[in-house]
Amino acid sequence: MEVKTFKGGAHVPHYKSYTENKPITRLSLPQEVIIPLLQCLGEPCEPLVKAGDKVKIGQKIGDSKEFFSAPVHASISGIVKAIEKRTVPSGGEDDCIVILADDGPQEFEMKQVRDPENVDLEIYRKCVREGGLVGMGGAALPTHIQTKHDDGVNTLLLNGAECEPFLTCDHRLMLEKTEALVKGAELKMKSIGAQRTLFGVEVNKPDAIKAINELIKDREDMEVVPLAVKYPQGFKSHLIKAATGRDVPRGARSAQLGCIVRNVGTTVAALEAYVYDKPMIERIVTVSGPKVARPGNYLVRIGTPASHILKECGMEEIENHKLVLGGPMTGLAQPHLEVPIVKCTTGVIILPPEMTREWMDYTDCVRCGKCVDHCPMMLYPNQISIWAEKDMYDEAEKGDLMDCIECGICSYICPAARPIVHWVQRAKPEIKKRQRSRK
Amino acid sequence: MSYDQKLVLSPAPHLKAKDTVSSAMFDVIYALMPVTLVSVVLFRYYAVLLIAVCLVTAVLTELLFRKILNKPVTLHDGSAIVTGLLVALLFGPGTPWWTAALATFIAIGLAKELMGGLGWNRFNPALFGRVAVILIYPLFYNVTAAFASLRPYFGPIDTISQATPLAMLMQGADLLPLSHLFFAYAGGSLSETSALAILVGGIFLIYKKHISWHMPAAIIGAVFIMAMVMGENPLYHILAGGVMIGAFFMATDWVTSPITLKGKVIFGVAIGVLLMLFRVLLAPTEGMAFSILLMNAFVPMIDRVTRRPSFSEPKEKTVPLLKRPGVRKPPVHGVGR
Repeated sequence: MEVKTFKGGAHVPHYKSYTENKPITRLSLPQEVIIPLLQCLGEPCEPLVKAGDKVKIGQKIGDSKEFFSAPVHASISGIVKAIEKRTVPSGGEDDCIVILADDGPQEFEMKQVRDPENVDLEIYRKCVREGGLVGMGGAALPTHIQTKHDDGVNTLLLNGAECEPFLTCDHRLMLEKTEALVKGAELKMKSIGAQRTLFGVEVNKPDAIKAINELIKDREDMEVVPLAVKYPQGFKSHLIKAATGRDVPRGARSAQLGCIVRNVGTTVAALEAYVYDKPMIERIVTVSGPKVARPGNYLVRIGTPASHILKECGMEEIENHKLVLGGPMTGLAQPHLEVPIVKCTTGVIILPPEMTREWMDYTDCVRCGKCVDHCPMMLYPNQISIWAEKDMYDEAEKGDLMDCIECGICSYICPAARPIVHWVQRAKPEIKKRQRSRK
Repeated sequence: MSYDQKLVLSPAPHLKAKDTVSSAMFDVIYALMPVTLVSVVLFRYYAVLLIAVCLVTAVLTELLFRKILNKPVTLHDGSAIVTGLLVALLFGPGTPWWTAALATFIAIGLAKELMGGLGWNRFNPALFGRVAVILIYPLFYNVTAAFASLRPYFGPIDTISQATPLAMLMQGADLLPLSHLFFAYAGGSLSETSALAILVGGIFLIYKKHISWHMPAAIIGAVFIMAMVMGENPLYHILAGGVMIGAFFMATDWVTSPITLKGKVIFGVAIGVLLMLFRVLLAPTEGMAFSILLMNAFVPMIDRVTRRPSFSEPKEKTVPLLKRPGVRKPPVHGVGR
């Protein structure tokens, strides 16, 4: 089996054994869900309901006229308690619709309304838009943006790399919903006009690779690309480079790259949106950590507070622990437990005190070169960190700071414990501002 | 509601590799133990005294300069101990202790702390201290005489220390068997006693991924080839003098070597070539120290010329203008142009 990969990157311990053999199970419903009005990379929605309204599961409760936006839906039936500022996983507070469960129907009725064999692409695109689909791997780009036919794109690249430690939700999905995945890929391929589909899967998921291969063995247009187990293999640009060998210059459009990358979860969700008219009201979330009593891959309603999930998984006392939504390399640490799961939340990770990377004392760069060796973007994180630390934004910009994908390898590996990614994140808006004012 | 639990908040990534600067420094100390032990066995108390003096001076100097510069004490990172030990290993057993102490003081005080501390020094501190005392040695004639009574006597030094192998090469004396140089030979500085001991330490550092094998290989390879070209005995040049300690412990210093692999190889080859030029054309000794220090000064330049483009840099840019499709070189007409 030829294993493909990219240059740079690092082997981060993957801690997947906690959950990789746990089948997807449905989590009990919370009493209250918190639905942020902004759950995608784009514009926030306007609420379509008001406090006191009765909502039904799957009902659209927020939408926007902007193109770069995706509607939000009620993930349970109940009564709108309030539309107010709540802590959101992306940091800070934002407008959310809070729904209190009532005794209405709480299961979405999976009734087939369309035939996946006989697809109407116009309706498919509309379903994706109306279903509020966004990239479920973490980027949260509205999916409907990339459903149009584009002449240059001949490849659909499905991202099943799942390179972040702890996370296994995509792994389980590929294993348990293989049929839906292949069907979803076919639909997606038709909609963007691609001729082939590549499934990029890291080789630490041999069962998933086998399951997909089993289903597509008679197909000419689909192929599994086994990828080396290396972080950040699942980042878009590196997946493209590894799977297709193509370079990914900055600002390149899909047509130029010849391919569109889609998360495996989103692919299945798009199929369900078309066949069952099912909006994005739930997703698979990996709940994991060395101390979690019942770690697993849970089907969780969007808007479920982390506190409910932790209670169900037997991990209520987490004083001095760290709660991370997403993967531990790029996810955000949360200030308290009342943070909702959103469409792009891949995991709920609880790191015990001995594992948390506290705000460590850092020292000056000692030029060991480990960050340079491992940087997947071929940058010089050592230099960039010095510039960004000292607010030398012009130098940092010339040093290609804006190319940084914030994968976190440099901070992970730095023996001087320098918070390089943190400085990069601080410098980026400042440099963007300068770039704009120059134009 | 569970707002009341105190959670840890800090930016991503939330995992951290175990290596720290101080664990790496202590690995260097462990890696230096074989050669230190060999030198102590061969030179007895002379070696112990030098090492003790250098370690104490290193620690005191760092404390003093940190105090003067009003910076936090960073002894726990172990870099002062590494530098102190390295300085001691660069001297022969007959060296007066105050010379070694002064070298250590210059290494830590001038070459490291005044340059901005660990990470900002441009020159390898230990070598800088060593070479500094060579250059100011003439000033020491009087001091040496005045201090002579302060030198402890641990028995006749001539009986335990022999001529340095490089001096023998220069004087045209009978050369030592290579096996002596490789396993253990009581001549030259403490670090030159056993190539094998250095190699063991160096392999440990490579195994621990603190250094890459490319640089020592480049240095030793360059010395080998240069020696062949210049009609010298290549193995003798590699095993005698400071090539081994220089290649594995001095040139590979994180702070003062190029950052990319390519740069490291260029740096290593240049050191090997310079060393052989120094040894054959100039003085027989200290060639390694001078070539490494000289190349330290070129590190920013090496880093600049080996700079790699970003992953997202469009590749077309690197295609020369004339090779771009659509742009043709104008045809040459006649001879008169």
